[in-house]
Amino acid sequence: MSGNRNKRSTAAFVLAAVLPVVLLVLSLTIGVYRIPPKAVFTTVVGAVFPGGASGGPSPYADILFRIRLPRLLLALFAGAALAVSGASLQAIFKNPLVFEFSLGISYGAAFGAALSLVFLGRKVPAQAAAFVFAIVAVLAVLFIAGKAAAQVVTILLSGVIVSALFQALLSLVEFFANPYALQSLIFWLMGSLAEAEWKDLGVTLPVIGVGVTVLILLRWRMNVLSLGDDEARALGVNVKREKIVVIVLAALTTAAATAVTGVISWVGLIVPHLVRMAVGADNRKVIPLSAAYGACLLIVADDIARSVASFEIPIGILTSVVGIPFFIVLLKKSGKIWL
Amino acid sequence: MKVRVEDLHFSYGKFSLHVAGQAFAEARVTSIVGPNGAGKSTFLKCLAAILPASRGSVFVDGQDLADLSGKSRARLVGYVPQEPAFTFNYSVLDFVLTGRAAFIPVFSSPSHRDVAAAEEALGYVGLAGFSARPFFELSSGERRLVLIARTLAQEPDILLLDEPTTFLDPRHETEILELIRRLAGEMGKTVIVTLHALDMAVKYSDEMVFMKGGGVVAAGRPGDILSEALLKAVYDIEMSILTMEGRQLIVR
Repeated sequence: MSGNRNKRSTAAFVLAAVLPVVLLVLSLTIGVYRIPPKAVFTTVVGAVFPGGASGGPSPYADILFRIRLPRLLLALFAGAALAVSGASLQAIFKNPLVFEFSLGISYGAAFGAALSLVFLGRKVPAQAAAFVFAIVAVLAVLFIAGKAAAQVVTILLSGVIVSALFQALLSLVEFFANPYALQSLIFWLMGSLAEAEWKDLGVTLPVIGVGVTVLILLRWRMNVLSLGDDEARALGVNVKREKIVVIVLAALTTAAATAVTGVISWVGLIVPHLVRMAVGADNRKVIPLSAAYGACLLIVADDIARSVASFEIPIGILTSVVGIPFFIVLLKKSGKIWL
Repeated sequence: MKVRVEDLHFSYGKFSLHVAGQAFAEARVTSIVGPNGAGKSTFLKCLAAILPASRGSVFVDGQDLADLSGKSRARLVGYVPQEPAFTFNYSVLDFVLTGRAAFIPVFSSPSHRDVAAAEEALGYVGLAGFSARPFFELSSGERRLVLIARTLAQEPDILLLDEPTTFLDPRHETEILELIRRLAGEMGKTVIVTLHALDMAVKYSDEMVFMKGGGVVAAGRPGDILSEALLKAVYDIEMSILTMEGRQLIVR
């Protein structure tokens, strides 16, 4: 059994290294305006080696570099951010049902970003406002849960309460928004990568990059933090400090993603669980693999969102509608403990 | 290493623990016994610095534990809880490796040396070959052994075990207690263990500490301190002590 699991882990890591790149390249061809793979290749080569054999600038360069590439990079980074945040939060809260959505972080971030977009005219960057309210949300959840925060139900119930509060506050922002702002706000809230522009990504991608990297570096530590607090303390760990670091990083990466993409739920729950089903519970594997497969999931979801219909389906709706049944089927099929 | 407790206070709600002075000898097994709610586990957690004492100190070879960093303390004192509190089904090796936390920098993962230490600890408790087994598939007795192995991987000089034999059948109970004796006898560890089974405590301990109502009632070698009057005072029921083939047996 362990041999099988080791083989599966090796295969999962090899695939994790290759698949995001392959999907990124393939996805460059997909869209309302289909660009053949060969044209993608020559355009990319032409951009990297200007004046080379490919001749002058490609007619596809604008679509590829100004529209599709930022969008796909955002999908890669946001997917990794959401999945790694989910996996990390599950470890430190010792609770497989916790993720950024159930802790109120997603709606806290969405409220912050909406506030910035509608009322502050982006005087405060949406990412910063999203981060502040993401932290406020998680602090509120911890405050409400109090000493019973280690209990599965208490923390989820506190998350439901805080999420409901931030959803209500979001409705208030919508209520006071002017019609033009309201339309884009509602579309953004459903989750969309369509707004991806290089100027937003200049903040979002580095923040997610740093956050996800540090969380991946902490991957083994998460095994220790997922033990009882008393046990971890007896093992010499500064439990409080290290948990705060993980929560702040999870809130930061989620907020950076949510500020640009809107609310994309379930990625943080589904991906870590799928990874655990395949390779076991060791966070040395779960955290980095969640980053890679979260990125893949969002790229594929975005490909579907912008190619199956004549209009674009908001990706947040898609991840929920497709993700939840998929997850239920897997749960039923596996029929064993995979945590 | 010698452990010395001075004027230790801890209170939580209505319960308060106060141990005026208590010493624990090196390479010896000391059992802490007493009725439910006497403060045995609380005392053990204060010794492990898991619970912060409101007053007083725990000294290890003259060094106050409160002055040490978490890491240095973990290399000195190991704590074995009754049951591990975790949700995820780690392999036995991954679980035992968490005992190496004090040796592994925050941003690193276990090295070959850490894996070797964990496997050696598993071998010592008789679970060589269990590395890849999922923790949730183990029996209660095996889980207790894995918990001890994790603390051995931590390489502490002092081992604190919280009721390591509760709910175990006689065979596994004996197995654990024999192991505890070896930890003191072979490895020279200072072993402090809370126990409920008085017979076993008498048989396997070099020293015993009787607790009641958050304080120490009596402490010393079982042969020196054990009396029917003491048992009555601590447990509030009549118990008789019979001596058979040089062993003291407690009969209710």
